[in-house]
Amino acid sequence: MSLSEMKADREAIVGSINGDSRFLSRITSIGITPGCRIRVMRNDKNRPMLVYSRDTMIALNRKECMGIEVEEVQQ
Amino acid sequence: MSATIALLGQPNSGKSTVFNALTGLRQHVGNWPGKTVEKKEGTFTRNGKEYAVADLPGSYSLTANSDEEVITRDFIESGKADVVCILADSSQLERSLYMMADYAGINVPSFLVLNMADVAKEQGKTINAAALEEKLGIPVIQISATDSKKYDSFFAAMDRAITQKSVINISGLEAALSKVEGYESIKELIPEGSVKNVSSMWLGVKAIENDKLVVDQLKEALSESTLGQVDALRKTSGGALATGNSKFVWIDELLDGVLEEKKEKVSISKLDKLYLSPVWGKPAVILTILLGLIGSFIPALPLMGVGSAIGALKGPVANALAGAGVSDTLIALICGVIIQSFAYIFQMLGFVFGVLLVFGLLEEVGVMARISYVFDNTMAKLGLQGKSVMPFLVSFGCTMGGAAGSRVIDNWGQKVLTIALAWAVPCGAAWSVIPMLSALFFGPGAVLVIIAILATMLLHMWVTARVFGGKLVKREDRFGMIMELPPYHKPKWGALFRYVLGRTKDTFFRVSKVVLLVCTLFWLLSYSFVPGADPVLFKIGKVIEPVTRVFGMGWKLFMAFIASSVGKEGALGVISALFTDGSFYTAFSDAMSGAARDANLGTLLLANVSKPEALAFIFAITFNMPCVVALAATYQETASAKWTARIAAYYTAGALILSAVVYHIGLLIW
Repeated sequence: MSLSEMKADREAIVGSINGDSRFLSRITSIGITPGCRIRVMRNDKNRPMLVYSRDTMIALNRKECMGIEVEEVQQ
Repeated sequence: MSATIALLGQPNSGKSTVFNALTGLRQHVGNWPGKTVEKKEGTFTRNGKEYAVADLPGSYSLTANSDEEVITRDFIESGKADVVCILADSSQLERSLYMMADYAGINVPSFLVLNMADVAKEQGKTINAAALEEKLGIPVIQISATDSKKYDSFFAAMDRAITQKSVINISGLEAALSKVEGYESIKELIPEGSVKNVSSMWLGVKAIENDKLVVDQLKEALSESTLGQVDALRKTSGGALATGNSKFVWIDELLDGVLEEKKEKVSISKLDKLYLSPVWGKPAVILTILLGLIGSFIPALPLMGVGSAIGALKGPVANALAGAGVSDTLIALICGVIIQSFAYIFQMLGFVFGVLLVFGLLEEVGVMARISYVFDNTMAKLGLQGKSVMPFLVSFGCTMGGAAGSRVIDNWGQKVLTIALAWAVPCGAAWSVIPMLSALFFGPGAVLVIIAILATMLLHMWVTARVFGGKLVKREDRFGMIMELPPYHKPKWGALFRYVLGRTKDTFFRVSKVVLLVCTLFWLLSYSFVPGADPVLFKIGKVIEPVTRVFGMGWKLFMAFIASSVGKEGALGVISALFTDGSFYTAFSDAMSGAARDANLGTLLLANVSKPEALAFIFAITFNMPCVVALAATYQETASAKWTARIAAYYTAGALILSAVVYHIGLLIW
């Protein structure tokens, strides 16, 4: 499923990330890479998504989150 | 200059705190040549030697995606820096070491500073800097950047890096990269020394990441057939995701045995539950900013008092000078221009001091990032960051404060655009004039006028964002938010006050120059040097009256309009004087102090000005250039005379067009 479909307070492992090379380089440099564990903190309409990864709370644009494929895991 | 140090780090790595601590007040802010990116340089002296410090623009990596990154890359590759200080956040070590991993492979000497040691310690994290130094081969130290007394270890690491020319040991990274498809073949195709100061490993990685600059550099360095091979290998490689992954694999290996931490489950803090709430977030953020602004008046009041005191000197000084036989012209220059300018500047400087303090505080404790998050969707429509909402709110009080507050916006283009839009927000002085004039002419209809003004403000901002947005914030530079929300920090008051005082002092000098220049110009135009002769402005006003009539303004109102670009309160003073046939110069001089409202101004206006003219005039002065001090502050913050002039011309023209439109609508109604 895509990251944007995840509910708040769930965790997932990032699978593939799709987007232009600029997006890929920016998302990598903030620490989100395939295989990393990610926790959705908030997923509210009309707001960027809030996720937690590598000790960091990160706000991500919703549209771009659609290109991040994740697999939900039990906590 | 004995050495140049460049500071490199991701946002929130405490880079500017280190920069401020090193250089203190010896810093200079300008623009990188030909680029719309802020350039911060400074110097410091240690043991009798002078060092230069360059604060490289903030970015998350070295890939050439934006002007900021291109500048950083050019600076490093050109060899201008003798040593690069790479910063990372100890409390988020794994993620923030990415910049170091991206730098690895560059042959310019470097050392690593693990900042925010205090925060990491609070979180129960221990870091063995010596062990990390062993693995990396460059000096590594841990500090709390705000503690300027403990910079000895910083300087020791810097000295070691310079004398040993320490370069990061990349064998571990190369091992991780060897798993990336095509990496080894690409690296073999690129001989060492193809590009100055960088290794072929680094070029290979950036080629895989399809970095624009490296692709261009390789075109120069490689034969066409080799380039074709590199290109083919790149396309089948995993791109930035694969190399990024290798960098984190390497970072994990580096941190093994270096970082010890307790894994705790994270949750949203109580404060964030409020700020990040979809319902209460916006009200909470706005309330925070407003409370902050009210609070900022307390430290601002003394400065404002100084301003009033200087203004009060005008009368006594004029009398004393007249008594001493000084010529009237000179008295007018000293009292009407110089003393009045400084009175004005100090009053507004109080506001700037307060705004810088509050914004600096919000940024330091981490609230600013929440504001960006909450207003991201709204402000993105204008091509701006969420934080831009703050200068807008401040501008309801004082446009100069708004311009000074735009300092928190880290992208130059967005900063200039924010200031350009903040000018459309009617300031406190405008709010003291609009309701009074509206009530006088339209009675209860004044409410409608105010609503129309607010609606026009939003429209103006929307149009202005389209007019300037394309140039300042290019389409391809508009991308979705990818931003860290840092944990809340306790503020470091000492460092904050030093920074705010330094900035206020800087603002004072730059603003004074512009204000004195503009006020002298107005004085020259409005002063009668030969007794009985009409001043230049007066003559021009009369000659072009047929033109200004189109905008709904006779020459007297047009003069008041011109005065309103110096200071809004002054517009009424000019009207008072001109309609009572007072001295033209006195009117203009008083326009600056805003004290010359005639007691029967209301009667005068009703007798001489029609309703359509009045309405046009209200719109004209509201959306005119805010005041000369706002102009000066805009120049100070944008560091661009061209853009300051462009915005000023745009607002003057815009106000006249609005005036004409409103006037003709008014003619249809009445």
